[in-house]
Order: sequence, then structure tokens, then C-alpha cells
Amino acid sequence: MAATKTRSSSFSRNISAASTPQIPGLKCGPNGTIFVSSGIPDLDKILGGGFPLGSLVMVMEDIEAPHHMLLLRNFMSQGLVHNQPLLYASPSREPRAFLGTLPSPVLSKDDKSRDHDLEQEKGLRIAWQYRKYLGENQQNFEGQRDGKPDYCNDFDLRKPLERHFLSNQRIDCFSLEGSPNLDPFRERCSTFLAQLPRYDGNLTSACRIAIQSFYAPQCEYSNTEWEMLSFVRSLKSMVQSSNAVAVLTFPPSLVSSSFSKRLQHLADTLLSVKAIPDEDKELANLLTGYNDMVGLLNVHKVAHFNTQVPVILEATTFSIKLKKRRSLVLECLNQAPIDGSSGTSYATTGSCSGSSKTGTLDF
Amino acid sequence: MAELICRALRDGALDGEHAPALTIKDSIDSPFGPHVFNHVLAQLSANILAAKSQSQGLVLVASSQSPSFYFDLLKSRGNDVASFHKWLRVLDCYTDPLGWKVRLMACGSISSRSPEASNTVRLCTDVRNLDNLSLSIMELGRELVGQGKGRFSVAIDSASEMIRHASISSVAALLSNLRSHDQVSCAFWLLHSDLHDVRVTAALEYMSSMLGSIEPMNRPANVQRGNSENLSLFEQNSNKGKFHVRLKRRNGRVRLMNEEFCIEQSSIKFTAVSSEDGIISQGLVPKVQFNLQLSEKERIERAKVVLPFEHQGTGKPIEIYDGRQSLNESSTESTNSSSAEKVQTNQDPGKGEIIYFRDSDDEMPDSDEDPDDDLDI
Repeated sequence: MAATKTRSSSFSRNISAASTPQIPGLKCGPNGTIFVSSGIPDLDKILGGGFPLGSLVMVMEDIEAPHHMLLLRNFMSQGLVHNQPLLYASPSREPRAFLGTLPSPVLSKDDKSRDHDLEQEKGLRIAWQYRKYLGENQQNFEGQRDGKPDYCNDFDLRKPLERHFLSNQRIDCFSLEGSPNLDPFRERCSTFLAQLPRYDGNLTSACRIAIQSFYAPQCEYSNTEWEMLSFVRSLKSMVQSSNAVAVLTFPPSLVSSSFSKRLQHLADTLLSVKAIPDEDKELANLLTGYNDMVGLLNVHKVAHFNTQVPVILEATTFSIKLKKRRSLVLECLNQAPIDGSSGTSYATTGSCSGSSKTGTLDF
Repeated sequence: MAELICRALRDGALDGEHAPALTIKDSIDSPFGPHVFNHVLAQLSANILAAKSQSQGLVLVASSQSPSFYFDLLKSRGNDVASFHKWLRVLDCYTDPLGWKVRLMACGSISSRSPEASNTVRLCTDVRNLDNLSLSIMELGRELVGQGKGRFSVAIDSASEMIRHASISSVAALLSNLRSHDQVSCAFWLLHSDLHDVRVTAALEYMSSMLGSIEPMNRPANVQRGNSENLSLFEQNSNKGKFHVRLKRRNGRVRLMNEEFCIEQSSIKFTAVSSEDGIISQGLVPKVQFNLQLSEKERIERAKVVLPFEHQGTGKPIEIYDGRQSLNESSTESTNSSSAEKVQTNQDPGKGEIIYFRDSDDEMPDSDEDPDDDLDI
């Protein structure tokens, strides 16, 4: 006779109460990481929640396509919508002008196509004869539902961001072109990041840094590769010790290959965008939705903090599409159906089986 | 296609966007870059004169050929010399790029030769100072089109010459300023790719929106050996070649085009490619999955399918098949048989029936049933 005695062990699970900050724009993830949205709902899902706080995200550009600008725009807009401080640096003389091209979030409810997925799963119908006895065996699909509805917004790329977001004091712009070396920029980054140090105790907000086209050839410092590498390294350490996420884009074809590899190793999350050839019949035959695609996104590395377990993705290449020409969606590459008219089609070979009837069998 | 490029240059820039820029790239294997450059120059000038293009003037930075060469070239295309002043300005970086002649004249070593007194040509004596160069280009352009909304095109004879004298970052800065300037309609330049580092070529490609590369018809396998086959290939390469164009479109896609060209006496002729080689971007799509998502229509169809057992429980008693139904019918016979399997056939003509008796009763009832039997459709 086993007497079931519930013995409470002396070890109790340490569920820290502060693990769920109800701060808009931040989400808790596994292993004590806190996520910040990238501005693209599909990308958040792929990366397992978003960009972790304290990480350095690198996007490798393709010099033939401006897709990295799409990623940057969404990232920056998301930060502004959540009222997070933003530092933007670019090689152009007037970086402020870029802020005028940031998209505004889509507010209509009927665009929540995410709900579709969940309802489909909830309605899973099982043809099981004992179901009537054992009750509804509903599979509760706990999908990657982004907690609050406004953690990650869908952005309308055709509408510019409203003025009141942009007149926020906390937007800082820096032009990379003027300076002969990176010291002034490094100073600016460290003062910017000093406003939200990591080990402060209370988590109030997160800040975002967006650096566009870091290796643009018109910048004077672009010849000094070791300097640039050491800058990125110090940026990474600064970001790690503050509540910030930095996104840096650079064109790898303009960098010598050894430095390109070093930069890639410095990144916590590494993405790359690629252009696709226009009117390519082979590609159109291979993929569905080729006409809607504007480019390809590759996920090379996903940040994993506080864990030894690597993140292995099902698919690493995604197509970038503009849904209704306004919002960015990332889709898995799907193979186009093979043309049925070529080769022996099912219909013609099926005739032999169709003619046989489940009829009289003579023994 | 060369036509497409010339049209793109003719159409020029939209408001608020960077001006289109063309890089013409060649190499020693197929050194016809200058021919293509002259062709594009002539086309653009024809368009400017006919007032078909967005730009109203052309500023030419001449580094590898003298200005008189270009005057002769444009004259031979039927342009009137007297009218040059109205739409053409040449920045002469060929005669005295580093200012040596000026210095020699200053110390009296050479007699002062009367320069080509022309109001279309401005002499540049220091090509290393790119800030001054870019200012001169802007000034010349403004001379042509005025201060207002007029636009002009810029042609740089040889970007390779510029890179020789200045660092790539300053050249890139100059080009990007040109492109982003309000009054520049389009820009194009020639580059000899084998004179530079790969990074330098990549930087200039980064700066341009169109890339035209000139390649030989067929690459000879071994350059040194003077085989007869190689000689014929060389002959072919001597006046023919291939012209690959990569156009960056606004939606982020890249348009790839191929053409062949043939150099005749003084002009160049572009023809469409005779054989389609079908260049596919290999390795672009590593992992392609099958689409497992349902479209709306498919979802509705799926909802309509009646699954087995779904219609049960609606009033009729629920039946559960446990594999013993057949025994009820033949229970009378099965009690007799113990181990031997008896197969009894019904002697009904034209109709076949299989009656199966279980080997023994203590067999697990579910082991021999057809798993599809319990579906109740």
C-alpha cells in the first residue's frame, strides 16, 4: 500500500516575479532573455520572438538591391511606435531625411491574418470512433502568439510615419560621411547607450541603434578595416552592457573576405538579403509566387543567450514579398507544382484502375 | 541592351531620387570600353540636341582622350560645331592633369603655347583635388542649364584615371554627390576592371544603378600558345564581343540582359544574342519546400468533407465495431471448428463470397481484422 505522501522538497523553483515585464515593446523569452520586436511579424516568428536585448544584429546587404532598407525601416518604426530612443547613422549627409520614409503601423483589425492559423488548428477534426466517449480531444495549439497585440506591428510601407512619432526628442541622427575616423561616432554611441544601462535593476525601456551601410565606400574611414572592426567590437560590448539592440548593415562585397568573415563572427544574429533576377523563367518555374517576390532573406545565425543549445531553423531562406504592396511578409520558399501536362499524367494512368469495378469475383 | 541603357540615361532621374548611373566595365581581353563609351555619349548628345532627354546639357570630364578627339567624334556624328557651346562643356583633364606645364611655363622652360581658346573647354590642372573637380563640374553644369530646375548629364571619360590620382573613397564620395545632386540628370563613366582591385570595382558598382560589362566572345584557353585555334579566336575577339548589362530596378530586382556587338569602321553595332544560353543563378535557392498551406477555397472544401464517425451521435445509437461482427453470423459454425481452418465457399454462381473462420477463439480479436473495417462512412 503506497501511501502517497507529497513531500515538498527544499528546492523550490525560482520563478522570479520580475520575469514578465508589462512594458510595451518588450517580451520575455526563454532562458531569461528579453526580446524586442524587429518590426516584421514574420521575422519575429522565425527568430523565436524577436531580437534579444543586448544583441548585435547584422544584415549583409546585396549591392544590387535595397532590401536592407526595408528591414531597417521597419525596425526603426517599431522603436518609434513603442517610444524607444533611437540612434540612426548613415553615410548620407542628411540622415534626418530618411526618417521621412519610415512606415506607419497598420491599425485596421481585419489584417490580423495571424488568427487564421490558430483557428485552423483549433478546429482539428479527428475521425476517431471513441471520441464521443472521451470528450473533445482538442489540441490546444499554443502558437507563438505575440503576447500583447502591439508587441509587433504590421507596417504599411506606403504611408509615412506620423509626425508626432518623429518629433520625439529621443531620435538621434548621425552622418558617417563627414568624419575621417570613427571616434566621434563611438562617442555618440556610448553617450546614447549610457541612458539605459543594463544592470540598473528596473527595466524601463530599450533603445535601438540602426547603422546603415557601414562600409559605404564614400566614407573616408572605409579604407581602415581594422579600425572599423574594432569599432564594431566596442559597439557590441557597449550594447551588451545596456538595454539596447543594434542593427548594422554592411555590403560584404565591398569588404575584403577575411574582414567580412570577422564581422560575421561578431554578429549575434546574422541575416542577409539577396536580389533576385527579373523575368527569370527558370526561377519562375521553380518557385510559386515568383512574381510577387522582391528578394530573398537568409538567416545565417540566430542569437542564443544564456543557453548552449543552438537554434536550428527548419528553413533558412525566405522570400521577401510585399503583401498588397504595403506590408512586408517573409515566406518559405515553396516549390511550384510541376506542370501536369508533361510526362505521364495521373489521369491517363488512372484509367486502368478506374475501369476495374469492385464487382463480381469469380472463384 | 544598349538601347535600354541609353533610354534610361535619357529619361534621367525622378524627383527625390538618385540619378541613374552607368558603369561601363572592360578589360584587356576585350578592350572595347572606349567604343561603348563613345557610343553612349553620341546617343545621349543626339537625344539632348533633339530635346528628347531630361537633361539639357552634358559635362564631359576628359582624362584619357583630348577634348579635340571628342569634338571630332561628335562632328562625325553630324553635330554642328558651332552649337557645341550651347549644350556641351568639357573639363580637360587630359592636357595637363598635374599642372606640370603650368609650372614649366612659370619658370620659363617652355614657351607659352596658346591653349585651345574655346569657351567650351575648361582646363583642369590638378586632378588630385577632387573637391575642386566636383565644384568645376557643378559650375560648368550651371553654365549650361542655369540655376533653376534644369538638369545636365555628366560623363566621366575614365574613372580609372581618377582612381589613379585619388583614393577610392573620395572618388566614391564625388560620384555619390553627383548622383544625389538636384541638377544632375544622369551620369556614366568608364572603368578598366583589370587595373584595379576587386574592392575598387565593387565600390564603383555599388555607386551605379546600371552595369555594362564588356566581355570577349570566347575566352581563349591558353593565351600564350599561338595555336591556330587560338588565332582564330583572337581574330574573332578583335572586333566582336559580348555586352552584359545588369540593371538595378526600383523594386529590388535585377534585370540581366545580353547582347553581342561588332566594331565596324568607326561605329559599333549591337545585335541581339544569337543563342540563348539561359543563365540561371545557381545556388540561389538551396532548400525549397512544398506548400502545405491551404488556400481559402481549399479550406472550405476541407470543411465540407464528412469524416467517419462524425455523423454518429446525432440520434442513432453509437456503434462501435470491435471486430466480432462476423462471428455473430457464423457463430453456429465456428463453435464446431477448433484448430483447422475451414474455408467454405458459397456455391452461388456469379457471386463470390469468402467466409473466413478464425483459427481459434482465444486469438486476440483485433489481430486479423481489416483496419479499414472500423471506418464508418
